[in-house]
Amino acid sequence: MLSESARMSSAAEARFRIQAPPPTARAVMVIPLDSGSERLVATLSARTWNGVTFLSASAAADALTDVAAADLVVMVASAGADASAAATIGEACSRRRIPTATCVIRGASASETALSSTLGQIRPWSLMVVIASDRDYVEDLLRSFR
Amino acid sequence: MLRQEHNELLTQAGAGTPMGRLFRSYWIPALLPEELPEDDCPPVRVKLLSERLIAFRDSNGRYGLMDEFCAHRGVSLWFGRNEECGLRCPYHGWKYDVTGQCIDMPSEPEQSGFASKVKLKSYPLVERGGVLWTYMGPADAQPPLPEWEFATVPAAQSFMSKRFQESNWLQALEGGIDSSHVSFLHRGDLNTDPLFKGARGNQYNLGDMRPVFEVVESPGGLYIGARRNAENDHYYWRITQWVMPSFTMIAPRGNHAVHGHFWVPIDDENCWAWSFDYHPTRVLTDEEVGAMRAGKGIHVKYGPGNYRPLANKDNDYLIDRAAQKAGRTYSGVEGISMQDASLQESMGPIVDRTKETLVSTDSGIIMARQRLLRAVKALVDEGMTPPGVDPVHQRVRSAAVILPPDQPFKDGAREALIARPGVAPAAV
Repeated sequence: MLSESARMSSAAEARFRIQAPPPTARAVMVIPLDSGSERLVATLSARTWNGVTFLSASAAADALTDVAAADLVVMVASAGADASAAATIGEACSRRRIPTATCVIRGASASETALSSTLGQIRPWSLMVVIASDRDYVEDLLRSFR
Repeated sequence: MLRQEHNELLTQAGAGTPMGRLFRSYWIPALLPEELPEDDCPPVRVKLLSERLIAFRDSNGRYGLMDEFCAHRGVSLWFGRNEECGLRCPYHGWKYDVTGQCIDMPSEPEQSGFASKVKLKSYPLVERGGVLWTYMGPADAQPPLPEWEFATVPAAQSFMSKRFQESNWLQALEGGIDSSHVSFLHRGDLNTDPLFKGARGNQYNLGDMRPVFEVVESPGGLYIGARRNAENDHYYWRITQWVMPSFTMIAPRGNHAVHGHFWVPIDDENCWAWSFDYHPTRVLTDEEVGAMRAGKGIHVKYGPGNYRPLANKDNDYLIDRAAQKAGRTYSGVEGISMQDASLQESMGPIVDRTKETLVSTDSGIIMARQRLLRAVKALVDEGMTPPGVDPVHQRVRSAAVILPPDQPFKDGAREALIARPGVAPAAV
């Protein structure tokens, strides 16, 4: 007789899994940290999303209380740009126990020094940092957070 | 989460599939040399990328990997007679050399040249670094032989094992990329496993149970960095390498051997987990090799006669609930590899990624999936060679380093992430 583990991990038993994914109603807030990433975020905001809200960089400072409604805050930064807003946003999230992730878009021309400068500003305030050369990755990341 | 069509694309690696075509761009581990230990030894069944094959070693020591079934009436050549430079089907005596060429057809008249027109599909099978590698792609696109460092150092510096895992390859690879589970699932092993314990860097792991992760693209795949607090406001970084499609190398600890994996699809519901340990600059000690053979570190104890782990789904992985409750293990399963494999197998043969609830610490997995999807698309649509084929992408190392707070780890560990012969690995 098969063990329970053997039986229950089979393809046959997989058919009986609850087919509807657990509802999460996760609220993701996307905040650009500079004008370059703001253009990217504006493009993304025009697409259809479920549970994702987008702020502009200028609105972010005024809307920090809005982060309270978020389950996750995703900051988007451009390597070499001023990312000092990460501290304000990060502090607001930290007070409310909201996790943060930052996606840094590193263009081909961005030097290690430029990247280093941006990382120095965002690292204290991000639980997860992704450094991507492809701007499309931001959308990939957001689509993965159902 | 991943859309169903993307999940299918990444998990199906049989002939004619896009991911199958990706895997067929690379040399992949096929067998251990011990499975074909001498000339004219018995042939061995091999299934790779959903193709059933037979492997043998002929009278002159040449390795062959070809279609398992005789071209005549479809008999398995596992029953074949390995003799006089070929594998002879015992049904009617048809004989094949290591290239799959039929070289004798005794059931036909002696003058018949028909045998020369019969050739089984075959793939090259070569030994390098304690592994028999095969390449299953088009002959005119065959890449250079593998140059992973573990396969190019002297044999006494390297150890390789393989185990059968009863899940799709991708959920196994994702476990190797996902650093965030280590603080939970493997927390009991850091101080007890002889192949991990005693390193100065372990204190950072134990002192900071909430690492922060950074994921950065590399030429061959990704660097996945996990940072923890160190002295003087510095960070202790552990940097894992992932090279496409399924190679990972974990950051070293102290002067221990460095380890990593390949996951190779057997079919869409099973894979081989290849596990290596090596040291770039010294011989492995008898104690280290003994521990590896005993199933310590990332290696496993086996059941009798094959490469299936002793702890497996048929015996509920020998789960010890008392040990779980007492905190000796987190899941009740012993050993790092079976701690991973048991959970990955429990996801089902091919996990349904449309039902996932990913979080930010899954960004490495998310990025790896996207890298794979892009590589598959570029290969299929444009014929672009995927990352990881170039031997330069294979001459890599993992690293453990301490860096200032704002320094990109890719910059700070630049030299350490490249394999340099005669140079010790970057470890703490």
